[in-house]
Amino acid sequence: MAEPLLSVENVSISFGEVRALNGVDMTINEGEIRCLVGENGCGKSTLVKIISGVYRRSAGTVRIGGAKVDDHDPRRAIAAGIQVIYQDLSLFNHLSVAENIAINRLLHNGTRIVKRREVHDIAREQLERVGVSLDLDAKVSTLSIANKQIVAIARALSMDARLLFMDEPTTAITTTEVDRLFSIVRELNQRGLSIVFISHKLDEVFDIADTITVMRDGYMVGDFPADSLDSAKLAFHMTGRDVAHQPYRRVARDDDSTAPPVLEVRDLTRDGHYRHVDFTIRRGDILGLTGLLGAGRTEIALTLFGLNPATSGNILIDGKPGRLTAPWNAMSAGIALVPEDRATEGLFNAQTVSKNVSSTRLDHVVNRWSFLSPSKESELAQRTVHAMGVNNKNTDTLAATLSGGNQQKVVIGKWMATEPRVLILDSPTVGIDIGSKSEIYEQVQQLADEGMAVLLISDEPEEIIATCNRVLVMHDGDVIAGFDDSQRQAPGFKEKLAELIADPASAAVRSKG
Amino acid sequence: MKSKATKIWLFQRVMHRRAKTTEKYLFAIVVAYAVVVAFMNPRFLRLETLFDMIAGGSGTMLLALGLSVVLISGGIDVSFTAVAIVSAYISVLTMDSLGIDNVAFAMLMSTSIGLCLGFVNAVLIQFLRLPALIVTLGTASVFHGAMAVLLGTTDFTKSEMPQSLVTFGSASLITFTTENGRYGLTMALPFVIGALILTWLILHHTMLGRSIYAIGSSEESASRLGIGILRTKLFVYGYMGALAGVMGILYFSELKYVNPTSLVGTELIILAAVVIGGAKLTGGEGTLLGTLLGVSLFALFQTTLVFLGLDSSWRNFFFGGVLLLSLGVMYARQRVADRKNLVFEAN
Repeated sequence: MAEPLLSVENVSISFGEVRALNGVDMTINEGEIRCLVGENGCGKSTLVKIISGVYRRSAGTVRIGGAKVDDHDPRRAIAAGIQVIYQDLSLFNHLSVAENIAINRLLHNGTRIVKRREVHDIAREQLERVGVSLDLDAKVSTLSIANKQIVAIARALSMDARLLFMDEPTTAITTTEVDRLFSIVRELNQRGLSIVFISHKLDEVFDIADTITVMRDGYMVGDFPADSLDSAKLAFHMTGRDVAHQPYRRVARDDDSTAPPVLEVRDLTRDGHYRHVDFTIRRGDILGLTGLLGAGRTEIALTLFGLNPATSGNILIDGKPGRLTAPWNAMSAGIALVPEDRATEGLFNAQTVSKNVSSTRLDHVVNRWSFLSPSKESELAQRTVHAMGVNNKNTDTLAATLSGGNQQKVVIGKWMATEPRVLILDSPTVGIDIGSKSEIYEQVQQLADEGMAVLLISDEPEEIIATCNRVLVMHDGDVIAGFDDSQRQAPGFKEKLAELIADPASAAVRSKG
Repeated sequence: MKSKATKIWLFQRVMHRRAKTTEKYLFAIVVAYAVVVAFMNPRFLRLETLFDMIAGGSGTMLLALGLSVVLISGGIDVSFTAVAIVSAYISVLTMDSLGIDNVAFAMLMSTSIGLCLGFVNAVLIQFLRLPALIVTLGTASVFHGAMAVLLGTTDFTKSEMPQSLVTFGSASLITFTTENGRYGLTMALPFVIGALILTWLILHHTMLGRSIYAIGSSEESASRLGIGILRTKLFVYGYMGALAGVMGILYFSELKYVNPTSLVGTELIILAAVVIGGAKLTGGEGTLLGTLLGVSLFALFQTTLVFLGLDSSWRNFFFGGVLLLSLGVMYARQRVADRKNLVFEAN
């Protein structure tokens, strides 16, 4: 047997007191597609950064093609054929597409004088390899995330890469774009490139991997052939416990026939965003709103939270017309929004958990002279972190230091503190590991059980099926299909829904949700 | 129309990009202002006004060029006026005590000292891991304070200072005579043009320049590719320091008076000129054309407000007004566009 392409033996690293990796071993062979999975903070990204020479390991050996690599120098790793596409893509927003693609090669060649022609030639050649054409002179900041990813892949390939790491490449792109990405990845793999794929989305992992490597808490759990696992077993290896969530079932309520729905939307239109949208949400409903990115889902959520006023149509709250022209109107109407982008819209990253939680209820945490009361604030925060099951119960921790799953629990908890009647969740589990994901599902189901009306936006069919009792599918601003509880429970629904999301043009059915 | 199309074509041909919105705004403001002044006072249209402007703006331009590079790299420097004074004053003292009276020596020495002080900035920023603003605020006082304590702050008058500098400051590239007297074009101009071309070549045609834009876009991403962060910063702050060193000698020569307590404190107005030109404090953005326009506007206000019958102390008032107005309009437009695209992030 030939030397493995990469072998990692007994690698450890510590950051201060924290031991992030403990004696990790891994071997990658030529031409393999490997998935590396594990919960947030298990050490996947740290391992990648050691292999790529960004971090210096405290112990252990790394061999590339049999040769020991001792120093930590990104350029050495790149020269040896290791390429990483980081989750944030690591592109330079202010440089052009061509420069971003060519910079690796130029750095490696020791180029001093940059010639425009040369830069363009390198970029064109690499884009041809991935089979995509982009404006070479466009600034990267003007590209969509999917196209930025193409630039990152083209850059990675420019160095005759032998092993490509992709750290969560699919969190921010839509289903069709994921398909495009996967076909590119398979194509590259057939030409001999080894790929290590890091993802939280288990269906993708099964879709693409030959072998799955599982890590937990800085240790290697093991390598498993993809066909020997199912998602329950994989989730068990990742979390060390059984993770199973029951599909949601709404219990009929006494007032179902008498009370008006909590939220009703009638013929709602926002020019350029969505048209003629109708739906109702009763107490205890979890309505799934799905469709591709850009279908108009988020735009509706923003309208319901007063940030994107509708052009025409009505919004009824408890049967009465609501005037939602600003977030505070929505809040006083009992509407809460957990926004799509947790980092920039959901959290005050540089503030403590306690301040994040109290931010929606400042009227609640003041003493009788209207001064902030630290004791009331921390009491509210304590109640929230316990109710939401945030792992770190110290509410003086900065929000930025929590893992993605726990941050999202804080965001949801912050809105729970307002005791809303309608909870809108926009892509609530993007980039969140499986353990926290199922805890969030349970929380949402429990809230609905207690009588909250929930609108859940997601482009993952699994998520919709696992948590919603009714589903609407949108495409290009129109609601193209709606499914009620009985349709949802019919066999083959998941496949039908996935197909509908991925290929909305074929959907001729139009029914009301 | 045809000539306009040709002009746009020419611009793109030379610059390989479209003119930025800031550059267009600024160009329009400069032209509009010049038209108003020319209309109010035809004396403005004389060549001597242009020569005055160039003499007054040369030093500012050198500093602004260095500062543009610093801002593009995502950093900031507020020590450059102190560096200019310290470098040039040490050079003058050395010339005085060794009896070397040669302008080339002065330039070489002052540039070298500036370069070293710039390196000190870069090293401190890299190894203390402090924000560049804090480091350079500190070094500005340390450099200037150390000079004052160790070397004193004695003035040199025109007759006391090295005569080669006086001669250099009085010399002209070209002269012409009018009924009002003789006018010459300052010797500082070749230095400014040289620095402009050099900076442009470095920024746009070398890997070093691309690395400067890269670390200004994202230092973390740059280090992941193996771009030498320390090396790039050494260049950026060293270059700023070296240009400040050159500027210091030009400044003393132009004034024909060596005052080691002057200039320091004017760094923010130069920062304003660069920011008006479109450089962003968040790094990665900025163009030399923008900087040139920003400094031109500054020099215009400095030398031509008298034609409007206004005291030159109106200069800062107008300049600040333009800064707030032009950038306010730009950011407001950006916000309207963001709002339309449902982007709620601050920029």
